[in-house]
Amino acid sequence: MKLARILVLICGLALAVSGGVPLLKRIFADTKPSVQLTVKDAQPRDVENVTQTAIERDYTAAWLAISTALANNTLKPLNDNFSGFALDKLTQRVKDQKQQGITTRIIDHGHKVNAIFYSQDGSAIELKDTASIETQVLAGGKIIHSDQAQIHYYAVMTGAEDRWKVRVLESSAE
Amino acid sequence: MRTLIFILLVFAVCWFAADCARAAELQVPQNAVAGQPLTIHVAGSGTLYLIGPGQVIKREFKSGSVEIKGEELRNAGRWIAAVEGGNQSQVFWVKPGKPGKLNFLARPSRVPVARKDVISGVAFVFDQYQNMVIEPTPVNFKLSVGEAAGSSKTVTSRAGVAWTTSGSASKAGAAQFVATANDTSVRRVVQQVAADPCERSLRMHVAGRSGNMVTIETDPIRDCSGNPVPDGTIVTFIQTDKTGRSTVDARIKKDIARAELPASDSATVTVAAGVVLGNELHIGGKQ
Repeated sequence: MKLARILVLICGLALAVSGGVPLLKRIFADTKPSVQLTVKDAQPRDVENVTQTAIERDYTAAWLAISTALANNTLKPLNDNFSGFALDKLTQRVKDQKQQGITTRIIDHGHKVNAIFYSQDGSAIELKDTASIETQVLAGGKIIHSDQAQIHYYAVMTGAEDRWKVRVLESSAE
Repeated sequence: MRTLIFILLVFAVCWFAADCARAAELQVPQNAVAGQPLTIHVAGSGTLYLIGPGQVIKREFKSGSVEIKGEELRNAGRWIAAVEGGNQSQVFWVKPGKPGKLNFLARPSRVPVARKDVISGVAFVFDQYQNMVIEPTPVNFKLSVGEAAGSSKTVTSRAGVAWTTSGSASKAGAAQFVATANDTSVRRVVQQVAADPCERSLRMHVAGRSGNMVTIETDPIRDCSGNPVPDGTIVTFIQTDKTGRSTVDARIKKDIARAELPASDSATVTVAAGVVLGNELHIGGKQ
């Protein structure tokens, strides 16, 4: 009898842990995506330590902005972190989502980012990002699509007033 | 036992067949290209959403195919096709079109002549819908001043970017820096200006005397490639005699710098522009 109770207790605990761990992961994924930046392959100029830290910080902020903007159909987070073509496209996406009554929930499981180009004058940097992302599309509050995948992104960031902003963000099958 | 295995096998086959049938209800081609029309086959009726990186397309449909016009499908990248209420969705990829736009950064905008690897050009390759073309693309960089044949280099882009460095020409003037990919060209102007004055051209002489002043002027000041140093460049004249030191900063005007210094029985005058020192002159006594 006692053994049965212990078994039930263990099963209950296992159930709680198995449900709780992914939940915690999601909470942390939503608040701050993890970005690991490697700069050893950058050409033709080496990336300075200060720049590496700034890129890591601002690229993280950019992904947080994407998640917030697509989940709530708001433009403010985008304006702070994007410029150029990337801003145009994401702005259009949010406007279209709003018009068509859908939202997108992004659960970000992290980014392995490699700097592949850093311009001679230090004004532009290109990153290749392997992102682990879970995407849920909701129409009228109901999930119409859900998937989890590793997606390759190419991002070009340029220096702005007080931060680096994403100017190009392109997903690629390769 | 055999019966049980048979039932399980039948069940698995049915499950697989049903799954295949459900997947076949939504068929999206996997070779879509931005700017080209797309046909999606879909069974039943309902609302189809196409969610792309920078746009969302919504279509009401009845069994058959949904046509998406080329000008509607503008964004390359990862798309999601999803049917509302149909429990059907699929991920598909759209490739960028042909290169149709270049973002060309040329640095610096002003550069001294005859310097190695001082000009850099970076070109980002896009299609006409602002999708970055990741496929390797040859980009030609050409740098020339006036009618003279300049330098030309073709670089294959990597992950959408091609770059080059080049030395400045020995002749001053507005250099045309042109990047070309496919049929698209972008031109930038890099102003090549004379470098520092050449030591051998920084010579001065007495141009005249009036009352108790001596006028000193330089020969036409040029850089070591023979280009006239721009007007406005500061030239410093320093006169040293027994009473002390007099300094005059004069600007080059029409290639020549001129200064009036107090006449002295015996003085030494030196001339300098930036880090370049010219000849030395003795006035008042023997030269």
